Amino acid sequence: MMAVPLRRRALSRARRALMTEMAALILLVGGLASPTDARPAEPKVRVELVSESRSVQPGGAIWVGLRQRIKPGWHTYWINPGDSGEPPTIDWTLPAGFEAGSIEWPHPERIPVGPVMSFGYSDEVVLLTRITAPAELAAGSRVTMQGQASWLVCEKICIPEEARVTLTLPVVAEKPLPDPRGAGLIARARGAVPTPSPWAASFSTTPDSVALSIAARGLVPDRIASVWFYPAQWGVIEHAAPQEIRVADDGITMRLARGPLPEATAGPIEGVLVVTERLDGRTASHAFTVRATPPGAAAAAATASGPALSLFEAMALALVGGIVLNLMPCVLPVLSVKALALVEHAGTDGSMLRRHGLAYTAGVVTCFGAVAGSLLALRAGGEQIGWGFQLQSPLFVTLLAYLLFVLALSLSGVVLISGRLAATGHALASRPGYAGSFFTGALATVAATPCTAPFMGVAVGFAVTQPWTTALLIFEALGLGLALPYLLLTLVPAWRRLLPRPGPWMERLKQLLAFPLYASVAWLVWVVSQQAGPRGVAVMLAGLVLIGFAAWLHEASRGVSARWRRAATAAVALTVLGAVGLGAVAGTASPSAPAKERAPGGLTSESFSPRRLAELRARGVPVFVNFTAAWCITCLVNERVALRSPEVAAAFARKGVVYLKADWTKKDGQIAAVLASFGRNGVPLYVLYPPNAAGSPASGEPSVLPQILSEGTIIEAIEKL
Amino acid sequence: MRHESQTRRTFLSNAGLIALVSGAGANVGRPRAAWAAPKVGEAAPPFTAPTSTGPSVSLGDYRGKIVILEWTNHDCPYVRKHYETSNMQTLQKEATGQGVIWLSVISSAPGTQGYVSPSEANELTSTRQAAPTAVVLDPKGTIGKMYGATNTPHMYIVDKGGVLVYAGAIDDKPTTRRSDVQGAQNYVRAALQAVSAGQAVKTPVTRAYGCTVKYA
Repeated sequence: MMAVPLRRRALSRARRALMTEMAALILLVGGLASPTDARPAEPKVRVELVSESRSVQPGGAIWVGLRQRIKPGWHTYWINPGDSGEPPTIDWTLPAGFEAGSIEWPHPERIPVGPVMSFGYSDEVVLLTRITAPAELAAGSRVTMQGQASWLVCEKICIPEEARVTLTLPVVAEKPLPDPRGAGLIARARGAVPTPSPWAASFSTTPDSVALSIAARGLVPDRIASVWFYPAQWGVIEHAAPQEIRVADDGITMRLARGPLPEATAGPIEGVLVVTERLDGRTASHAFTVRATPPGAAAAAATASGPALSLFEAMALALVGGIVLNLMPCVLPVLSVKALALVEHAGTDGSMLRRHGLAYTAGVVTCFGAVAGSLLALRAGGEQIGWGFQLQSPLFVTLLAYLLFVLALSLSGVVLISGRLAATGHALASRPGYAGSFFTGALATVAATPCTAPFMGVAVGFAVTQPWTTALLIFEALGLGLALPYLLLTLVPAWRRLLPRPGPWMERLKQLLAFPLYASVAWLVWVVSQQAGPRGVAVMLAGLVLIGFAAWLHEASRGVSARWRRAATAAVALTVLGAVGLGAVAGTASPSAPAKERAPGGLTSESFSPRRLAELRARGVPVFVNFTAAWCITCLVNERVALRSPEVAAAFARKGVVYLKADWTKKDGQIAAVLASFGRNGVPLYVLYPPNAAGSPASGEPSVLPQILSEGTIIEAIEKL
Repeated sequence: MRHESQTRRTFLSNAGLIALVSGAGANVGRPRAAWAAPKVGEAAPPFTAPTSTGPSVSLGDYRGKIVILEWTNHDCPYVRKHYETSNMQTLQKEATGQGVIWLSVISSAPGTQGYVSPSEANELTSTRQAAPTAVVLDPKGTIGKMYGATNTPHMYIVDKGGVLVYAGAIDDKPTTRRSDVQGAQNYVRAALQAVSAGQAVKTPVTRAYGCTVKYA
C-alpha cells in the first residue's frame, strides 16, 4: 500500500507558514514535511508496507517490511545512526491480540559527510518486523495493520518525514502462501540482516584505541576484500576514523579509534561486522552480530597465560613444572630405572656419579632444546601448534607407543635390560657409560612430551608468545626442572644416604612401574584412534604384537648356538622394521570421516567422493553437492542460513535427494578437478544433480545454484526436480 | 601427504598476510589534529572569532565564568524543535541570568544550510527572541572541528577554570517531535546546575543528536 504523497501545490506565504506549523497534522494523511524549503515537495522517501505472506493464519506469525525507496543522493539511518541523524521508528496500531516485534535492521553502509560519519541506507531498504496473530481469529475475516512510520532523510540537509502505512490481509485457516512481490523483497532484506557471529570476539583498550579481535581462524587473507565494524552504540569508537584491519590465520584484528564515552568499553562491545569476501569473479558481503567481551573476561578465559607473566616468573613456573614432570606416568618408570641404578651404586665413587648426573642433565637439556627449537621454527612458519605438537603426527605417536611398550616389557622382565635392542633409546640408556646417562635424559624428554605437568601449561603458553630467545630460556628451565631431582641426587652425597637400601623390593618395584607405561601405551592407542581411525588403530596394534614377538624372540634366542642366534637377531630386526613400517601406514590412515554428519537443522550429509557421486547417479538418485571449506565465510553463512532449516531438510527428504559435502579445506586434488569441470577454482559451489534414468549416467544435466544461497533458492531448485 | 599440504597452505596464507586499512572515503588520512574532539575533563580549546555584532570574542576572556557553546543551524529541524518550543531561549535566559556566557556558534559554510550573514544572524536572534551572549560566526568550521562538533544542536559547557565539563546533546529525546521537549531530561540544565554548585557533572558525555554540521 503506497503512502500517498502530498501533492505539490502553490501556497501563499501565509499558508506556507501555517503549513510548517501544522506539518504534523497534515502528515497524518501521509506525506512529508520539508521545514527547509517551506513549500511542500516530493517526499525524499517513498514508503510502503510489504508482506511476506498473502494471508494471516490464526495463531501464526507474518513478516512485514517497511520498504523505503530513497531519492538518489539522500539517505536514511540505521539503529545507530552514527555521528548525527535518527533511526526510523514505526508506531503500530494493530487489531486486538496482534503483536509487533522490534525492527530487524539490514546492515548499514557508511555515509561520510565531511568529517562526520553516518550509518544508514541509500537507494532502498526494507526494515523487517514480525507480527504475531492471536489464535482466536475468525477465518474469512480481514485484518488491517497500521503503522505510523517516521524517519529522518538527509542529503546535505535533513528532513524528517512520516507516513501512515497500512496493510490489509485476509485471515485464512491454512498456512499462508507467499506474497509474490513481498516475499522476494523480504527475503532479500533478510539476507542483509546480520546473523550471529560464528566466531568469539574480545577486545582490549588503550587510552586512544580499541583493539577488537575476532577469532575467525583459518581465514585466507587474500579472500577478504574489506571488513568494517559498525558499533551498536554511540561513543564506543570514533565512527569516522579509519579502521585498521589485519587478517591473519588466527583471525581478524581491528584497531579502532576509541570513542568519546569512556564507560562504553566497561562492558561488552556490541555491533555488526560486515565482511566482504572475494569469490570467483565476484564478492559477497556478510553481516554478523558481534558481542566482544571486555579485557577482564578475555584475560580470565585465557587463564594466567597473558603477558602479565615476567620472564623470571615464567622460568620459575617452568622449573617447577619440570620437576613435577618426573612424577608423570610416562616419565616416572624411565627415571626409576636410573634411580634404582643409583640405589645400587650409592656407595660408589662420588665423582663418577656426578659425571653421570651431568651427562643425564645434558641429555635432557639438549633434547628439550631440539624439541623447543623445532616447535618455535614451525610456529614461525605459521603452524598453530603448542607443546606436544609431535603428537599430532600418528606416525610419531605410534613409534612413541612402541618405545614405551618395549620399556614396559623390559620392566616386566620379558626382555632383559642389558639386551642388545640397539634400536631403542632404552638400550642406550642402560649402557654403563656416560653416553647411557645422556640418552636416558633424551629418552626421558621424549617420554615426557605427551605429559603436561601442572604449572607447565602456563609457562609454555607464555613461552610461545615470546621472542625465540625468551621462549628457549623457558623451555630450558623446564628441561632443567625435569633433570633436577636426579642431578641433585648425584651431586649431593648426603641426599643419596636418604635412599633406601638395595634389596629384592627393587625388582618388584620395577615390575610395578611397567604398568604406568602400559597405561601410557593404551592412551597413545586412543590418540591414534582419534587421528587415524579404526584402520590406524588396527595397524598400530599389529605393530605392537610384532614388537612383543620380537622381544620374546630376542630373549628366547639366548643361549642357542651362534648361528641360530644370528638368525634370531636378523628376525628381530626384521620384525621391528615391520612394526615401524606398519606405524608409517597407521600414520597415513585417515580418521574414518564420520560417514554421516547431522546438521542441527536435520539435513544429513555424507562426505563427497567422485565414486560415491557416480554410484548414486547410476542408481538414479538425485544428489546435492556442497563444495565448501572451513576458511570460506560465504560457505559458512550459506550453511547456517540456508542448509540448516527444517524446510530444506523436508524438501530433500521429499525428493530423496542425497546431500554430499565436499570439504576443500585442505585443497584435495579430486575436488579441485570437479570444481574445474564447473569452471571454478574456488568454493562455494553448489551443484544439484537431477535423477538420471537408471542406466544412462548422463541424462540429467547438473544445475549450479547461486553462490549466495537462500532457503527459497534451494527449495525451489529441489521442487523442480 | 595431508599434513604436508596443510603446512603449505598455512604457510602460504601466512605469507599472504595483509593489512587492510578500510578507509572512510574522504576521511582516509584525515589529519587527526584538525578533528581532535577535546576530552571532557581537559582544557577546552581556546579560540578567538568574530561575532554577529562585530567585535571578536575569545574563550580566554571568560576565565572565571561558565561558558556554554551551542552549535546551531536555524533551518535544521532539530534546532527548530528547540527554538519553536522556546526550549532553547528559556535555557539561554536561565543561564545568562546567572551570569553564564552563552555563545551560539554557526559553523555552516557559505552556501550551505544555516549559513547567515552577521545581520541575518542578528535578525534571527531578535525574531526568535533568543538570548545568547553572542553569536559566533565560524563559516570555515575552524572552531567546530576543533571541538569535534558533529550536530546541530551540539552543546558544550566550559567551567570557570576553562575545563570542558559537558559535551553532547541538549536532552535525551533525539527526535524532531516538538511534543518530546516536554518531559525530556535536559542534560545541559542538569550539568549547569552541578557546575554552578561546584559539583561534578553526572552525565558529562552524551550522544549529540541532530543535523550534521554543514562544514565546507
